[in-house]
Amino acid sequence: MKKVYAFEKNCLGCGLCEVYCKTAHSKSKDIIKTYRKENITSAIVIEEILSPKAKTYFALQCRHCADPKCVKACISGAMYKDQNGIVKNIKEKCVGCLSCVLVCPFGAVKRNKDKERKIISKCDLCIETGTPACVENCPNNALKLMDEEEVK
Amino acid sequence: MEYLIIGNSVAGTSCAQKIRFNDKKGQITILSEESFPAYGRPLISYYLAGKVDSNLIQYRNDDFYRENKINVVLNCKALNIDSKNKKVKGSNGKEYSYDKLLIATGSVPFVPPVKGIENQKNTFTFLKLEDAKKIEKIITDKSNVIIVGAGLIGLKAAEALAGKVASISVVDLADRLMASVLDSQTALRIQKYIEKRDVKFYLSNTVAEVGKDSVVLKNGEKLPCDILIMAVGVKPNTEAALTAGIKVNRGIVVNEYMETSVKNIYAAGDCVESLDILSNQNKVLALWPNAYMQGETAGSNMSGVENKFAGSFAMNAIGFFGIQLISAGIVDPKDEKVSIYIEENEKEITYKKLLTLNNKLIGFALLNLPDRAGIYTSLINDDVKLDSLNYDITKKDIGLNVFPQDIRHNKLFRGNNK
Repeated sequence: MKKVYAFEKNCLGCGLCEVYCKTAHSKSKDIIKTYRKENITSAIVIEEILSPKAKTYFALQCRHCADPKCVKACISGAMYKDQNGIVKNIKEKCVGCLSCVLVCPFGAVKRNKDKERKIISKCDLCIETGTPACVENCPNNALKLMDEEEVK
Repeated sequence: MEYLIIGNSVAGTSCAQKIRFNDKKGQITILSEESFPAYGRPLISYYLAGKVDSNLIQYRNDDFYRENKINVVLNCKALNIDSKNKKVKGSNGKEYSYDKLLIATGSVPFVPPVKGIENQKNTFTFLKLEDAKKIEKIITDKSNVIIVGAGLIGLKAAEALAGKVASISVVDLADRLMASVLDSQTALRIQKYIEKRDVKFYLSNTVAEVGKDSVVLKNGEKLPCDILIMAVGVKPNTEAALTAGIKVNRGIVVNEYMETSVKNIYAAGDCVESLDILSNQNKVLALWPNAYMQGETAGSNMSGVENKFAGSFAMNAIGFFGIQLISAGIVDPKDEKVSIYIEENEKEITYKKLLTLNNKLIGFALLNLPDRAGIYTSLINDDVKLDSLNYDITKKDIGLNVFPQDIRHNKLFRGNNK
């Protein structure tokens, strides 16, 4: 299956991937309205790598594991792996217990900051549009949608 | 091939799913003593609170059994296992034959003897959906509820009932709530927080006697009581296993293939003892993810694909009254050599506790700081040497950047989620 891979050398740490992730998962699909009115938690974690010379970064999304621990830990049945291998979370079923956060070894499942809807936020590979918004909008090709086999 | 599974919760259903994945033709039957399809058992408190309904509480979608060609027999308790003739007698009068059998009977509530308990007709345990439905029917805004047990189950029951009844009192023998997970300081902080939500605690105390509309505590205090919820704890349900002469200690004894001492009979979930990798002993680790993995391992071996269960350790993610607590491993150590690192913020009610021993993380507790907790869990699970990491985990928030580049790349690019 195809997943998003991060290339540390190219990442500027600009955060645009997060901005576009939020917009892609907003109701308005408008970057400004999303920022101003919709309280959305992106499905991306931007990490800083500390090195003596300079700071570098990479963006992390759900790895859609072959044998996902989050699916096994989910107490409500909200988390599942679909036929295409995408690990999805059914928002209506999720009770926000964060068992998935407890077991994800990548730390790639985030709690949703919107306190009214205590659910989690995770990468769905933008299945609705086909191309992940983070990949499409990365200004320096630091995020690529690639086939697992291609990467290996 | 005939597969028979006793128990229809997470271990039973994940076993059935794995069997079907490996064996498209075999006949799979699940016996359940309950009257509902599989549901998220820890969700019964959410049900009682009105946060999920009968539909949303279902663990699998409506088509799960049909798609996987699983024959489910509800309202049927397994009364007797005849391992010689490979037959199980059900409470519905029918007999079910098997080639491979899984026992996934879960836990049963542990109810200690209490003087006069028969006087209170509204006495419940809180483990099954049926319990939640019974309590739901009976509560009013005038009910005085006594909950015995300040552990996970008792507190979730209290949360579900808060605001719906006249009073909630939680009684526990221990000096603090969630004694198995929390140290006394953290427990006290959470207690004070919950007390503001009109729940009263009576700790280092117990119900000495139950009357018709009241209880008397050990310290002599008398409390009005219309509903009594016994949430002291659970124990492995080994009843069916014992009828087959299967070896049982505290839980059913299994090997790493989830095989019991009797041939062709496997067991998984809360009813078994399995390897705790932190103490290197077999323990009852009644945890949802554990039950899933054990059920899956059993299902794999039952359908001819050899698979071992690697063992696990205690872990919990729980939310109540808006508090989020995530913990894993050893959090209240007896060993004096354990180093404990604590970071707290009383105002924000956050707390981070990391426990290390011999250059390894052996446990953590995170109060209202859940972010990226799974990385800590993986450090325990993968037995990672802390001095091999990029920084001191007690000095900085955890991230994947803690791993040296080659290891990080291996994880991210090769999908190594071990």
